[in-house]
Amino acid sequence: MLLGIVSFAAILLVWESVVRLGWANPFFISQPSAIADSLSRAARSGELWNNLEVSLREFAIGYGASVVVGILAGALAGRFRIVEYVVDPFLWFLYSAPLIAFYPIFVLWFGLGVPTVIAITFLLSVTQIAANTLRGIQSVNPGLLRAARSFGASERDLLWKVVLPASVPMVIAGLRLGIGRALMGVVVGELFGATAGLGFSIAYYGALLKTTDMIASVVVIVVLGVLCTQALSAVEARFDSWRTGPG
Amino acid sequence: MPIPSSKYRVLVSTIAVLVFLGIWEIAPRAGMVDPTFTSQPSRVFAASLVIVPSGDFLHDVSVSLSEFAIGFALAVGFGVPLGLLLGRFPVLRYLLDPPIMAIYATPHLALLPIFIVWLGIGMQSKIAVAFVGGVIPILVNSMAGVRGVERSWVTAARSFCAREWDVFVKVILPASLPGVVMGIRLGVSRAVLGVVVAEMYQSQAGVGNKIMLYGSEFRTDYLLFNVLLVSVFGFTATWAVRALEEKLWTAGK
Amino acid sequence: METRIVLEPAMLQNQGSAAASHIRVEGLTVAYQKPKAAGTLIAVSSANLDIARGTFVTIVGPSGCGKSSLLLAIAGLVQPAGGRVLVNGQPVSGPGRDRAVVFQDFALMPWRTVLDNVRFGLELQRWSGEDLTARARRYVELVGLKGFEHYHPHQLSGGMQQRVGIARALAVDPEILLLDEPFGSLDAQTRDEMGSELLAIWEQNKKTALFVTHGIDEAIFLADQIVVMARNPGRISEIITVDLPRPRTIETMDSELFIEYRRHIRACLMGKVEQSCTQERRF
Ligand SMILES: Nc1ncnc2c1ncn2[C@@H]1O[C@H](COP(=O)(O)OP(=O)(O)OP(=O)(O)O)[C@@H](O)[C@H]1O
Ligand SMILES: [Mg+2]
Repeated sequence: MLLGIVSFAAILLVWESVVRLGWANPFFISQPSAIADSLSRAARSGELWNNLEVSLREFAIGYGASVVVGILAGALAGRFRIVEYVVDPFLWFLYSAPLIAFYPIFVLWFGLGVPTVIAITFLLSVTQIAANTLRGIQSVNPGLLRAARSFGASERDLLWKVVLPASVPMVIAGLRLGIGRALMGVVVGELFGATAGLGFSIAYYGALLKTTDMIASVVVIVVLGVLCTQALSAVEARFDSWRTGPG
Repeated sequence: MPIPSSKYRVLVSTIAVLVFLGIWEIAPRAGMVDPTFTSQPSRVFAASLVIVPSGDFLHDVSVSLSEFAIGFALAVGFGVPLGLLLGRFPVLRYLLDPPIMAIYATPHLALLPIFIVWLGIGMQSKIAVAFVGGVIPILVNSMAGVRGVERSWVTAARSFCAREWDVFVKVILPASLPGVVMGIRLGVSRAVLGVVVAEMYQSQAGVGNKIMLYGSEFRTDYLLFNVLLVSVFGFTATWAVRALEEKLWTAGK
Repeated sequence: METRIVLEPAMLQNQGSAAASHIRVEGLTVAYQKPKAAGTLIAVSSANLDIARGTFVTIVGPSGCGKSSLLLAIAGLVQPAGGRVLVNGQPVSGPGRDRAVVFQDFALMPWRTVLDNVRFGLELQRWSGEDLTARARRYVELVGLKGFEHYHPHQLSGGMQQRVGIARALAVDPEILLLDEPFGSLDAQTRDEMGSELLAIWEQNKKTALFVTHGIDEAIFLADQIVVMARNPGRISEIITVDLPRPRTIETMDSELFIEYRRHIRACLMGKVEQSCTQERRF
């Protein structure tokens, strides 16, 4: 943690001094002090909060839907073989295809703007969550199921007392990876066509060649990504404590 | 209870895909959906017959492929050695870990407009995006691969008076290979995505460029052919690395 | 030497009244689908067995001869490919509250603590009218894990995990205990202690116990009857009645008769004794 701060501080310092000393052109790489300026200006004018709100709302809807649908679909596929076999080809195709290529089609379907961004966000993260849930359920140790059955467990008991708790770590790992993909969906969706949002502001300032404002938005996204991932990692560590042995 | 064999699995999956294609074909014919929005398998196929023989297509594919190949090769060439190094030397790792993790947690495509400002709308900016997309997972997983190497193996090698270099080449390298290959698999899909999205964003040629173009012209069939093309490419590339990965895992057991 | 070892012709015994035996195995065949290949693997082939209420039966045999499979079939956890299992004269179609299993691989829920693992069976069997946690705690103490109630399985040694498995089975107070190498990962001393403990519990509660083990001495020491199994295909090759007086002590192991049993079983296991289970042999 401390090292992290030191290491970030060092990067900022080198960055700032390289520009100040005239070794690099601030038009291209800007400089930390200017970025901080830009951020505080955006915060005061409300632009930052507005963009953040738009992006977070898209993220929340798209990601929230993908959590529900992904876990449900993954659980159904894990529970019923036939569902797995039906879903499997589509899941793997969507999982490994560059889904953002479907963007123009979504624009055709939903129009330019928020719904399309949400659709992309959803699609990108849902495959990850479904795939992880499925894998988590499939990798439940059959010995544990057998042990539960020996005590007369019903199908419901098996689900609630064995399958679900056993697959929790895998599902949460899926949620964590899904966050990264959902964030990607929001940013890229906004990059292409939006009227507000963090991705939009990167594209907007990019078109105006305002490097400083552009990098400021990127910084906000970096912070957002780190915060989300850290939060989920913390949750993961909590649920994982029984699984990771001392060795 | 019937014992589901792998044949049964293939059968069900095939039927599911065929049913999907069937519905996709029939629904527009039956007037349930507008074919402008969904196109049809037959139209996509017809589009492929027009697109593939054209010289434009070859040009686009070669542009996209070379962007991917160069960016990805750079990512491997840079990410693997650095990852191994960081895994081996904790001091370096402590120093670089935080920024690397920060980039890992960030959608790398957010950097796209910056690369365009820096490198223009030609191939360079696409190569850069492919590189950044690919290099981070490769680096992180190579690093994890080295750190996952059993200490006892290193000790065992040392007990035979192995020098540092021998330890690295004969123990650490082979033992961390699965991690490296896993990083490469994750890197492939991110690099493919990077190239396509960068081309879609701003470019002069390439498959992504065509996807955007056909999208703006509402030529869904042409668009879908290109989308399927990159999807199949991404799928195949990932699948190939995964096959390699499985081979390595079983060999390592 | 007097004929004191009676090798029971199982088929013959099967003609006795079914009601008298607590567990009755009739022509049981257990088969598994071969992985990645057509056909089935016969793990247990036409086994016959009769176990009277309150007896302690041990099963010995080489690895892979179908001991676990036989046990799991009696537990109702694998469906027989042929024959059937009767408990109290009723055909077994699945697991029941009258039987509890101690698994060879422990099968503890890794996300539950020791205490909650012991509670697990009680919860599933819908025990009520009693504080389940208090009951679980008693059994945790019984197997000598007091102080480890809140540990997770991965924080325990193999032997400790195994004892949790035993406590979990004992806690539900079954009529029949099915134990699959329950002392497999215990050190010799704990093993002896747990063996005596188990015998005490068994004698107190008049349970019927079926106990798989690789230890010949253990098999003799605990048993009223020893089932010897052989491989290829997995089958019961001999059933030996042990006529050693109870309660048994360390001295029992030094008795001439004990040594005679040991010699005989060792010979059986090495395939030096040619017999089938329908044959009666005396010596
Ligand atoms: N779930 C299964 N699927 C397929 N084959 C199985 C399965 N369980 C057991 N077998 C096979 O059945 C045979 C008997 O196995 P079983 O576990 O009953 O042996 P065992 O006598 O308990 O051996 P051990 O002493 O090593 O525990 C073995 O050849 C094994 O490979
Ligand atoms: Mg066994």
